[in-house]
Amino acid sequence: MTRDEFMGRLRRGLVGLPTAAAADIASDYEAHFEDGAAAGRSEAEVAAALGDPDRLARELRAESTARRWTQEQNPSAAVGAVFGLLGLGALDIFILLPIVVPVFGTVLTVLFMGVLVFFAGAVALVVGPFMGGPGGILAAALIGVGIMGVGMFMTGLGALITKWLIDATVWYARLHYRVLKPALDAHQPAYPQA
Amino acid sequence: MPETIEIQLKKGVLTLCVLALLNRRERYAYEIAATLSDAIDMGEGTIYPLMRRMQSEGQVETYLVESPSGPSRKYYRLTAAGRQALETQTREWRAFVQAVEGVISDTARATVATGTETTDQGEPIQ
Repeated sequence: MTRDEFMGRLRRGLVGLPTAAAADIASDYEAHFEDGAAAGRSEAEVAAALGDPDRLARELRAESTARRWTQEQNPSAAVGAVFGLLGLGALDIFILLPIVVPVFGTVLTVLFMGVLVFFAGAVALVVGPFMGGPGGILAAALIGVGIMGVGMFMTGLGALITKWLIDATVWYARLHYRVLKPALDAHQPAYPQA
Repeated sequence: MPETIEIQLKKGVLTLCVLALLNRRERYAYEIAATLSDAIDMGEGTIYPLMRRMQSEGQVETYLVESPSGPSRKYYRLTAAGRQALETQTREWRAFVQAVEGVISDTARATVATGTETTDQGEPIQ
């Protein structure tokens, strides 16, 4: 494989990363080819020693998305991290799915119910005093505020557990691919030699 | 799959090797890759995902050095956290090697001693 081919495949594999990160990674590998050439190695030799560019790109992308999740904890970063690790094959979806779906389902239900309860409390607060229930206006308002509090608690708890679950998933997947997925396959290049 | 255990072992100690290399002196990635490729026969491309991870974990930091020929070069050096990680991992590695060595040398001795009477300590009787 020539340097251009290698870099082309690597760059294509890095599409989806922030431009600055992809450029940074690409310049690392360009420098590697430069240093290799300076050490008297051919482009094909350096490319073969580097390994499969598609696989490297997957690993770099997974690493980058996992890191983004540790820096900014928002839904899009979470989805990015999980899909990046899936792409790497570090998360075996068919093994994990039966465990993950009920757990995430339960937590998301708590989260969703929390929001519903909160709004139900708000409705009770506004409408309750006009319904003329037992205990008068103040009791109805207090019940409304109480229900809103329960809703907020459920939402907070759900969000906290969701965050822990994603942290745990990322941690597990990193551990898994670091230990089990050999990227050290210098012996068996996964592509025909150029 | 005879290579699997070898590959897993190498992958496990890669971080430790990089920490140890950087503890001796600051280096650029090509040097690290070439050294480790010679020493433990790892794929050179692996070094870049690893260096990025170590950087995001705060074990190493980079700085640029002007090069007389060509563009400036990115060097890596250990942070305080990196030195700490090196210390911990070295200790763990030594304890692990010692434990494994103990187990396999016991097994080897038992194999050799099979058929001969042994004492309670597993030492062959004179």
